[in-house]
Amino acid sequence: MIQYLPILVLVILATLFAGLSIFASALMSPKKPNPAKSAPYECGIIPSHEPPERFPVRFFLVAMIFVVFDIEIIFIYPYAVISKSLGTFGVVEMLVFGVTMFAAFLYLVSNGALNWGRIRRSRDGDSTYEARTSSSTIRRVSSGEKTAA
Amino acid sequence: MGSDPLFSHGITLAVILIVLVKVVVAFAVLLVSVLLMIWFERKVLSDMQNRIGPNRAGPFGILQTLADGMKLFFKEDLVPESADRAVFKLAPYLSVVPAFLIFAIVPVGGVIHIFGHTTELQVADPPMGILFLLVMSSISVYGITLAGWGSGSKYPLLGSVRATAQMVSYEAAMGLSIAAVVLISGSLSTRDIVTSQVGTFLGFIPKWNLIRLGIVPFVIFLVAVTAEMNRPPFDLVEAESELVGGFHTEYSSLRFALFFLAEFMNTVTMSAVIVTLFFGGASGPVLFGPGWIWPILWFLIKTGVFLYFYVWVRAALPRLRYDQLMTLGWKVLIPASLGWFLVIAGMQVSSYLGFGIFVLVLVLGWLLSRASGIGSLSEQFRLGRSRSAGTKGVK
Repeated sequence: MIQYLPILVLVILATLFAGLSIFASALMSPKKPNPAKSAPYECGIIPSHEPPERFPVRFFLVAMIFVVFDIEIIFIYPYAVISKSLGTFGVVEMLVFGVTMFAAFLYLVSNGALNWGRIRRSRDGDSTYEARTSSSTIRRVSSGEKTAA
Repeated sequence: MGSDPLFSHGITLAVILIVLVKVVVAFAVLLVSVLLMIWFERKVLSDMQNRIGPNRAGPFGILQTLADGMKLFFKEDLVPESADRAVFKLAPYLSVVPAFLIFAIVPVGGVIHIFGHTTELQVADPPMGILFLLVMSSISVYGITLAGWGSGSKYPLLGSVRATAQMVSYEAAMGLSIAAVVLISGSLSTRDIVTSQVGTFLGFIPKWNLIRLGIVPFVIFLVAVTAEMNRPPFDLVEAESELVGGFHTEYSSLRFALFFLAEFMNTVTMSAVIVTLFFGGASGPVLFGPGWIWPILWFLIKTGVFLYFYVWVRAALPRLRYDQLMTLGWKVLIPASLGWFLVIAGMQVSSYLGFGIFVLVLVLGWLLSRASGIGSLSEQFRLGRSRSAGTKGVK
């Protein structure tokens, strides 16, 4: 484990560097918060929706499929280190393992698990509606209110 | 198994001092190289686009990055009120610390003797250096994910979800292509990987892993690493025309600077890792003069080539669409790297087995292309059905 000593020293140094920089910046920077600055970024207009908590399930599917390949990688690394002493036996074992994994992957792909849907060339119409006008979306910083006068 | 001979005679004060000197030097070199890399990127990019680029601060504008960094120290540090404050503040650390650490396992030169101690010119040489590399690149995913998640805002969340899916998928391809390198070197230590590449075929072709493994693992690794670092043409994470600034939209002042620093530091260290894994690292012929300086020079030259390559790619290629990115990662790079790994494993035993596996891999590749066709058909079928039922199509 002593081989990891320099890495430990580097961890400490890098963390100190980041922490001290942020501390120094906190000392030197101005602090003038206002409601417009601390609101979530929305191109300068008032957000019409709450901050999102949902995202497309396809991203989650990708994570699940990744787990399959991650397990494969976990088994491949020890094999790669001792492949020379295992010889033909090791290759055949890895082949059987790899082909089994690949069969599962083929099933997923043919099920459309990694497709991202048709390419949407135009928007659906609900992004504009009459209630959103310049008086409801623009915030005047000086008044500090969410709606303009 | 690789290990630094510095620690073979116990821990003395001199050993501790040498460790400290090595760490501090590596730290300083990394910071300076990032400053130079950002300047170099802006300068080369502007040359390629017929502009002048930074030319005011210092000779040729070389101090421009330093000036930008100093400016960020004096900027207001905003934390949006909708943010998860602890996560928001933790994320820059998780991004910048792994960026520093990856460089620790890269051998930058040969072996030197100082103060009666022998040491390798690399910060640390643990017996599992390659696994350390994979671990660090996994942790840096957390930095970006948590930055977007903790911001409590729309665009950072989208950017970080994209980033997570992208980095996770290309990490699999990256891991499998590194496994081919490990297979042929028989060791997880970066120093052993470099020493296994010393020598030449026929007296003039270097015994680099690039040639010994065929070009395929190198190409896969190069593409996967580019996506892993979120560099163009894979910078969908911060696609400014769609996502404003991506995961760091809400960051300002020095926290933003740390993300920026980590991004360019990753470019530098990953170029160094490519050189280590596929281009013989710090090995090369000694032409004249002192012998210890040539490995460092070869290392710098090879790394510089890849730094230029990344800038060139950024100037030349347009950004991919997200579905193209995922198709490339999952349906091309991962199966190709897995198949090539098995072919090399077979070739190590006998060429008959190797060619047999090669044919099998080709058949499986054909099956994959058929499966992908069926997949898109079933997608269209589902979409058609849902649209006729009056609901909206799947996004």
